[in-house]
Amino acid sequence: MINRKNFLFLAFGIAFGFLLSRAGATSPAIISQLLLFDDLRLLWVIATAVMLGGLLTWLAWRLGWRARNTGAPISIQHKPFKRGLIAGSVLFGLGWAATGVCPGTALAMIGEGKGFALWVGLGIVAGSGLGSWMNQRLARD
Amino acid sequence: MTDALSSLWATFFNPLWTPVLVGALIALLAFAQRWLVDQPLSCSTGFACLAQRARPGKRRDRESDWRVVFLLGIILGGLLAALTDGVPAWQGTTAEFGRFYTALVPDSAWGAALWWIGGGILIGLGARLAGGCTSGHTIAGVAMGAPASLVASAVFFAVAVGTAQLAAWVLGV
Repeated sequence: MINRKNFLFLAFGIAFGFLLSRAGATSPAIISQLLLFDDLRLLWVIATAVMLGGLLTWLAWRLGWRARNTGAPISIQHKPFKRGLIAGSVLFGLGWAATGVCPGTALAMIGEGKGFALWVGLGIVAGSGLGSWMNQRLARD
Repeated sequence: MTDALSSLWATFFNPLWTPVLVGALIALLAFAQRWLVDQPLSCSTGFACLAQRARPGKRRDRESDWRVVFLLGIILGGLLAALTDGVPAWQGTTAEFGRFYTALVPDSAWGAALWWIGGGILIGLGARLAGGCTSGHTIAGVAMGAPASLVASAVFFAVAVGTAQLAAWVLGV
């Protein structure tokens, strides 16, 4: 359980949770302000993250930057157009609007002591189990 | 110099950082994962691992331990943020939830708990069917130019914004 990779991801997680909080993404009030277009600060957070991420991806590809663990060029992994992608995205959007929470922020909110996020987190675990089962069924037939 | 340091120090304790700064730091963090271990940002798959581990009689898949450790880290990161933001602990007041969620979520304790669990089920189920969430599809996937992630992210936002606007109109908030 205690090895270099796990330690690294613990540090990544701590930094990510901390940044989600400082972004305001763990505040239901600020999420509702984004969805209702009252205050777009979270839009700028997401837009900056995506644009700089895109630039770094392009630079890595253009200059052939290598991953430290494999020594091979950093991979550009495209998730597939899987069956259920649209239906799943719709359900996710509904849940996001209903709670103001997404999987990453649910955890950061639990850490911040926001009790309601424990219920949401439980729901996400249950929904994920159900979704994995449905994915297996979708892949079979 | 000391002025700059002390204002930086004060900024650290600010509960909300400048959006462009946080966005840039998230991009650098997500890219650091790809640079060091060639693994893009991912949250909802970790929840699927948790769900699998919760089932009795299933052997634990040690290869995915890091996913669960990452989720644990996010909780600790939230704790660290709450301990260093200089504002009182969360009370669940109307101001903290905002007028929209205060009006939307049922008032009774059990009604609210069911609402949060139901919403969580939609989020978890939706993320598994879509193959990712706002982390994997939006922050990581769109930055890598993945068409499926662009489509999924567009639907996430369109449905969430549409639903919230409709609900706000119906609730009159």
